[in-house]
Amino acid sequence: MRLQFILSEIWVALRRNLSMAISVALVTMVSVLFLGLGVLAQRQVDAMKDYWYDRVQVSIFLCTAKSDLPNCSTGAVTDVQRREIRSQLGAMRPLVKNVFPESQQQAYNRLKEQYQDSPTYRDIKPSQMPESFRVQLSNPTKYDVITSSFKGAPGVGDVQDQRRILDPLFNVLRGLSFGALALAALMVLCSVLLVATTIRQMAFSRRRETGIMRLVGASAFVIQLPFILETLIATVVGSALAIGVLWALVGYGIGYLGTELPINFITTADVWTVTPWLVATAAGLAILTAWLTLRRYLKV
Amino acid sequence: MIRFENVTKTYRRSTQPALQGISLEVGRGEFVFVVGQSGSGKSTMLRLILCEEASSAGNVLVAGRELSSLPSRKVPALRREIGTVFQDFRLLPNKDVFQNVAFALQVLGKSRHHIKAVVPETLEMVGLGGLEKRLPHQLSGGEQQRVAIARAFVNKPAILLADEPTGNLDPTTSLDIVRLLDRINRTGTTIVMATHDDEIVNQLRKRVLELDNGELVRDQMRGGYGAPR
Repeated sequence: MRLQFILSEIWVALRRNLSMAISVALVTMVSVLFLGLGVLAQRQVDAMKDYWYDRVQVSIFLCTAKSDLPNCSTGAVTDVQRREIRSQLGAMRPLVKNVFPESQQQAYNRLKEQYQDSPTYRDIKPSQMPESFRVQLSNPTKYDVITSSFKGAPGVGDVQDQRRILDPLFNVLRGLSFGALALAALMVLCSVLLVATTIRQMAFSRRRETGIMRLVGASAFVIQLPFILETLIATVVGSALAIGVLWALVGYGIGYLGTELPINFITTADVWTVTPWLVATAAGLAILTAWLTLRRYLKV
Repeated sequence: MIRFENVTKTYRRSTQPALQGISLEVGRGEFVFVVGQSGSGKSTMLRLILCEEASSAGNVLVAGRELSSLPSRKVPALRREIGTVFQDFRLLPNKDVFQNVAFALQVLGKSRHHIKAVVPETLEMVGLGGLEKRLPHQLSGGEQQRVAIARAFVNKPAILLADEPTGNLDPTTSLDIVRLLDRINRTGTTIVMATHDDEIVNQLRKRVLELDNGELVRDQMRGGYGAPR
């Protein structure tokens, strides 16, 4: 079958079934949009994790004279204990990337700076603040190595990982992105069913053409090709619309947030990265659905 | 060209066979009428030749192919050697005469050059020269059937099947259509025509196959519509 003939047949068919083509394009658009949102949300969580995990530290709080932590019953940390901790941290390179010691006065200053107007911390004194080692790790996921090494060690009051503060946030974001993907799966199911129904109707409304094609000896491929191409065109148009909406959402919506908040948000470059996958998924599913439906409903 | 070897066809959900123990042979270039009452098995016989249905028992051989063992991917090649004409013409209403005939070649991937040469020639042969731009609804029944015949013949098939091609036409037009089929037959094309039209059968005096309740009850050279007395 000649290309020009196929294209003209498709053009005529699309014009005749314009409302069906539009409905396939729109449902595809909504499903690809949700799929894209889910995938981009995952990328956002990953980007934030990379960014924050590079900055989060494990804090080893040392005992103060008046600390009521169970491991501090012997009183404030001694110089020997402090040296022992420091040398132990030194021995843990390259996992331990950097060690920042923080004295009681420095901890007090930071607290005052952060909560300068808060009445809760007004009466606090530097001697009440714990001295600490802030440890930056080359691989932040291995924080439990530090925790297990130092928790309960002489002179150590507590070991805290800042990841624990961020993890609930990431978990919520991750949950939302999975929600978007679940919704996308539902929408993909809708579009698959709609494509199948549309093709059944198209095959029925064009049974005279396909009947003649069959009688004159056209192959199954030639008879099915226009249906598959029409579905593909509607799907690609729908996907393109969805990509446009995603681009606008990320470019203008998140782009604006990025200028306001100190968080590294995803950019339109991420949209372009996921575009081939989204379009390929939508097109692949459309072709598969069309082919399976035609095998069942178009007698060849 | 066509051979039935003890062929039986029983449709699903039917206890009565549509064709039963049919054996016959139609040679290259023959013109054969298939006659019989409605439900006698005429259309089933044509559908078996066209490989639209498979026989329940026995062998059907068409153009050197044994249809019971023909894989489905080879069915289109078989159908390219068979032209088919129906009572209801089956033209595409939104295509003009030229496009309707050209469609049969376009879907087979023939070149534009070939189509432009062959379609007018075929239309001229069936007597539709000058009507290329007409849409089917602008044509009479006889003209529409000529378009259908042109479409069936444009690819120069070895066999032309006609299932009641005159069923919707008046007697004069019917005779014209059958004369056209006779002309096509003279080019070497085998014609198998199922019909109810006694006048035509009696007038042309070709080979007649008569079916009754799925059984072949008469195979007569230069026969008439009714059985000889």
